[in-house]
Amino acid sequence: MIEKNNTMDQFTLDIIKDSLYAIGEEMFIAVARSSKSPVIYETLDFASALTDAKGNLLTQGNGVTGFIGLLSSIVKATINKFGIRNNILPGDVFIINDPYIGGGSHLSDVGIVTPIFYQNELVAFSANKAHWTEVGGKDPGSWGVDTNSIFQEGLQFPCVKLFEQGKINESVMDIIRGNVRYPDLSIGDLWAQIAGNRTGEKRFVELCDKYGKTLVMMSIERLLKSSEILSIKEIQKLPKGDYYAEDFIDDDGVGHGPFLIKVKVTVTEDSFICDFTGSHPQVPGPINSTYYATVGAVRTMFLAATNPSQDINDGVFKPLKVIAEEGSIFNAQRPAPISTYWESMSFASDLIWKALAPILPDRLTAGHLVSVCGFNMSGIHPDTGEPYLNVAPNQGGWGAGEGMDGQNAQFCIGDGETYNIPAEVLETRYGFIVESYSLLADGMGKGEYRGGSGVVKRYRYLNDENYFTGTFGRNKFLPWGMNDGGGGSGNRFRIIKKDGTIDGPFGKYPRYPLREGDCLEMIMGTGGGYGHPYKRPIDKVLMDYKNEFISLAQAETDYGVIINPDDGAFIALTKEREAFGAANQ
Amino acid sequence: MKVATDIGGTFTDIVYIDKAGEIGVDKAHTTPPNFEKGVIDVIEKAGVNTAAIESFVHGTTVIINALTERKGAKTGLITTKGFRDVLDIQRGNRPDLFNMRYKKPESFVPRYLRHEINERINYKGEVLTDLDEGDVLRAIAALKKEDVEAVAVVFLHSYINDEHERKVIDMIKAEWPEVFVTGSYEVTKEWREYERTTTAVLNAFVKPVAANYIDKLYNKLEAIGIASPKYIMQSNGGTTTFEKSKETPINMVESGPVAGIFGSAMIGKLVGNEKVIGFDVGGTTAKCSLIDGGEVKVTTEYKIDQTDRFAGYPIKTPVVDIVEIGNGGGSIAWVDEAGYLRVGPQSAGALPGPVAYGKGGSQPTTTDANLVLGRLSPKNFDMDVNMDKVRESVDNIVAKPFGISTDDAALGIVRIANANMLNALKIISVRKGYDPREFAMVAFGGGGAMHAAALAKELGVKKVIIPLASSVFSALGMLMTDLRQDNINTFNIRMDHIDYDALEAKWQELEQAAMADNLTKGIAAEDVVFVRNLDMRYWGQEHTVKVLVPNKMISESNVDDIIQRFHAEHEKAYSFKMEDSMTEIVNLHLVTLGKTEKTTFKTIDAYSEDTESAVKEIRTVLFEAVGSVDTKIYDLGALLPGMTVNGPAVIEERSSSIVVYPDMVAEKDVYGNIIINTEV
Repeated sequence: MIEKNNTMDQFTLDIIKDSLYAIGEEMFIAVARSSKSPVIYETLDFASALTDAKGNLLTQGNGVTGFIGLLSSIVKATINKFGIRNNILPGDVFIINDPYIGGGSHLSDVGIVTPIFYQNELVAFSANKAHWTEVGGKDPGSWGVDTNSIFQEGLQFPCVKLFEQGKINESVMDIIRGNVRYPDLSIGDLWAQIAGNRTGEKRFVELCDKYGKTLVMMSIERLLKSSEILSIKEIQKLPKGDYYAEDFIDDDGVGHGPFLIKVKVTVTEDSFICDFTGSHPQVPGPINSTYYATVGAVRTMFLAATNPSQDINDGVFKPLKVIAEEGSIFNAQRPAPISTYWESMSFASDLIWKALAPILPDRLTAGHLVSVCGFNMSGIHPDTGEPYLNVAPNQGGWGAGEGMDGQNAQFCIGDGETYNIPAEVLETRYGFIVESYSLLADGMGKGEYRGGSGVVKRYRYLNDENYFTGTFGRNKFLPWGMNDGGGGSGNRFRIIKKDGTIDGPFGKYPRYPLREGDCLEMIMGTGGGYGHPYKRPIDKVLMDYKNEFISLAQAETDYGVIINPDDGAFIALTKEREAFGAANQ
Repeated sequence: MKVATDIGGTFTDIVYIDKAGEIGVDKAHTTPPNFEKGVIDVIEKAGVNTAAIESFVHGTTVIINALTERKGAKTGLITTKGFRDVLDIQRGNRPDLFNMRYKKPESFVPRYLRHEINERINYKGEVLTDLDEGDVLRAIAALKKEDVEAVAVVFLHSYINDEHERKVIDMIKAEWPEVFVTGSYEVTKEWREYERTTTAVLNAFVKPVAANYIDKLYNKLEAIGIASPKYIMQSNGGTTTFEKSKETPINMVESGPVAGIFGSAMIGKLVGNEKVIGFDVGGTTAKCSLIDGGEVKVTTEYKIDQTDRFAGYPIKTPVVDIVEIGNGGGSIAWVDEAGYLRVGPQSAGALPGPVAYGKGGSQPTTTDANLVLGRLSPKNFDMDVNMDKVRESVDNIVAKPFGISTDDAALGIVRIANANMLNALKIISVRKGYDPREFAMVAFGGGGAMHAAALAKELGVKKVIIPLASSVFSALGMLMTDLRQDNINTFNIRMDHIDYDALEAKWQELEQAAMADNLTKGIAAEDVVFVRNLDMRYWGQEHTVKVLVPNKMISESNVDDIIQRFHAEHEKAYSFKMEDSMTEIVNLHLVTLGKTEKTTFKTIDAYSEDTESAVKEIRTVLFEAVGSVDTKIYDLGALLPGMTVNGPAVIEERSSSIVVYPDMVAEKDVYGNIIINTEV
């Protein structure tokens, strides 16, 4: 395993590798700290990376898991378009968001690619991709739940030069300014991205200055190779075989569905193959994934199943294969709408999760909320009179697993180092009242280990000028339980009107008008349970009741524990639980 | 005489300075769980005349221990209706991105001990719903019934209007005087309800522990005749009185470590460097912090238990901005699955400790590698070091797998350890837009002096200062402190709609409160110094940049000046500025110093150019560039100003070893500091 050649160089190679990681982190921080959009600096809905000159990923800083497959593909798209004509020059910067040629996801995620030259030779790329609050299109915030083609979803950058040999292309900047609703935000984010890449470029050149280009290149080669070997070693630890899962996506937001989706995961001695053949064809609404987005979903689950703390580079992913039929929901073809692609991408991850959970209890749990439960709200601040746009994901319940209750109120798999926006900041910035921000505590996800609680959020509006677009998947088909654990609850939202009437609940809805006195209630579901609920120890059930996670009735019917409502003390087990206990001695 | 005592993991240190500026140091064992005993022990061991003590400063780990070991009070929470679950919901982030079994931080207060009150204040500070006192009484009764020992009270937007919190605290004090209580306004006045709630809860959680400890220590100190004012070191680099520290003990969370950084700033000033990097290498970690303009940087971004893969718990109190990594003398060298040599973050700790300690350690540590290289002498250990065992461990774990010599393996360990520490030093300097070439490095702690010269050279730092008493430097730092408090108050306002009078009124309010507070601590009004800072950002951004502003009213005439300062600070921090963009104030940050009298260090009168007289032996030491060379070893105590030590060399005392690289020159200054010119 360890190369036994020139050892002092060996340690230098290690130090160079660590320096590459440090560069990756620094680039990431540079973007986060200078961005002007909450979706970037709070949600960290962006990623940055270094690749080698061929576009192989070397290191990636991630805020969310969803971008894990996407950065090398934007660099490769740049090489495919410009590199082959020798038209990548020092001082160039490329902008790309066409999900069909590389980068996956949706038009809102804008990629910036900066070639890095050392002594006039192309040696690497720095690249990042960030969710702009606005890229134009038919809806404020650009993504919607009822678009019918990519042409409604915003401005498309089919990989073009934003800078040519150090000179900014003002025409491109003018086109951006002319097409996005909040040019100040979008341009601000663009500068943050350019600065992040510049940081990477500067540090990479410094590294070459310090150690010489040859050693840096040797270190990169060693990094990719050793990661691939390690990755295969991890695969060898998994039980070999074919694993299957099926599920349904509720709908596409424009009246179609449900849609059958399926996966076959094949684990061999040296490969990990995810085959989505048989999944539903691409749909008229915007929940389709491009192939690149699906690759991102698979990479996420590959890391989760093998080694969650592994470094991230293209060596690691070499043993991976992703099969998705062209024209299917997991490999949509242009001009299919894709603006809420995460509604299928997260399901691709969840399918693999479901297929592998039974064989990997030490790595995977029962099902979680899956959906980002994203929303896009625009309006006028009641005090300042200025327009606002609030784009954000929501937290919900995660599944229970062997030896652990599910986690309460976490963002879904597609998110990650994602932060909610505090109520105090929301009220200041947008002017509505956050009436509550609570755990759902609906007692769903029953089990020896209980599913994590979802969340209920209520916003009360103080003026008429608010519109809400929400996409809450897993509204009808609920988070799955495991080993006799119960299923969780669904994600939904409803509107409690000023006069007390209730509209909803809804899973997906475009531009719901919210008026003065109306209350929007967002409900994110509870995760799946694990193990038979009769196996849950009595003291834990008593505590669940005391903490108001389950009701008196649920304690009795779901867990077989009869509790005295006056003092919360244990009275007796139900006959059913006694019988279960006797049968399972 | 002034005395400082600092509790560490293994030893409790004392440093004292008499009227003539003469310094004394000593160490005694730390005595958990009765830490005050170790303090009394060390005072007695040092033989200090307690009647002559005029000032006593103390640094303690009692608070951080109580938090990390969860040994605090049974704590309840009273909060705004609709928000009791803030402690579970937290921020929702998952730093361990690909771990589907990630466990988020568990709340310090279980759900059944959190009570919601019908009351509401909006973001403008206006009361939307009056406080429902019936709810409060019911909550108090319920918490009493559960035998809660401490209560935190946190209402939404209390950073702008704390009247409901104050009212509830008055009610609790009236109804239930024996319970410990904390209102969030007492510990932090910044927005973000989860962070503020956690901070208040953690303060309540440690309050009984702190009160118990401080009272016991106070009584024991009085009993041995120390009647002087007694101060506690806080995380912000300043001190407070014993009495005040019991109110907001959470301010002591980094009590010890920051004193060394503060001391670095002071030593820097003493030798004429206002730009300093403080660098502290201990047994399990290395810590560093950058000081620009002679002042330590303070932030409220601190978290306990946070790692790359765990969110940790935010504490929004002012803490000196320190970057800490898991690399110290006891860090273990190992080879990872991919075949890379790594050092740390696992540490051999105090037990078994490095292989050299002979207490059963078999994995080589940085200390062991330094022994193999000859940079440390086995003679300076408290025990007989079995060098064969030390070499054997380096052989087994590193040299054999790579097929290299023991020496090369040991050098590899030190190089990797240095690379890790270099990364931390870069995080605080180059990555924040500072040029290390303009800075001097003050290196201390058990291992600081050994690694500093190599790291300084890599960074481009020209001057390394190994301060006097470098192994007990945190305690020395405490002798140089003033009383300090940081009041950070969210006051979110755009620069295009500033109400200048309201802004100045807020400053005045903060200053008056801080002045009153200092007077109760026994500080005279003329010794109180205010420093005003604004936390500012471009409108729409999240993260702020701290801008020092003059102590005078902001008005039409000087507001542009302040905006220009912000642009400059932003550019330094993030490498760009947006002069056309709107800016806003997020927080007012008032620093209040209660100046205390300082004793200047005694200077060394002796002078000699006879460097050879300080040589104690010649030893083979291995250096990266030149290999093994016969190296002069100097006795630190025998060195005098005027002597010139040319590298390669090692300057030793029993508790530290200063490595001077080839082509570097070291001298002792008149205070007893060693100054290394790295010749970069």
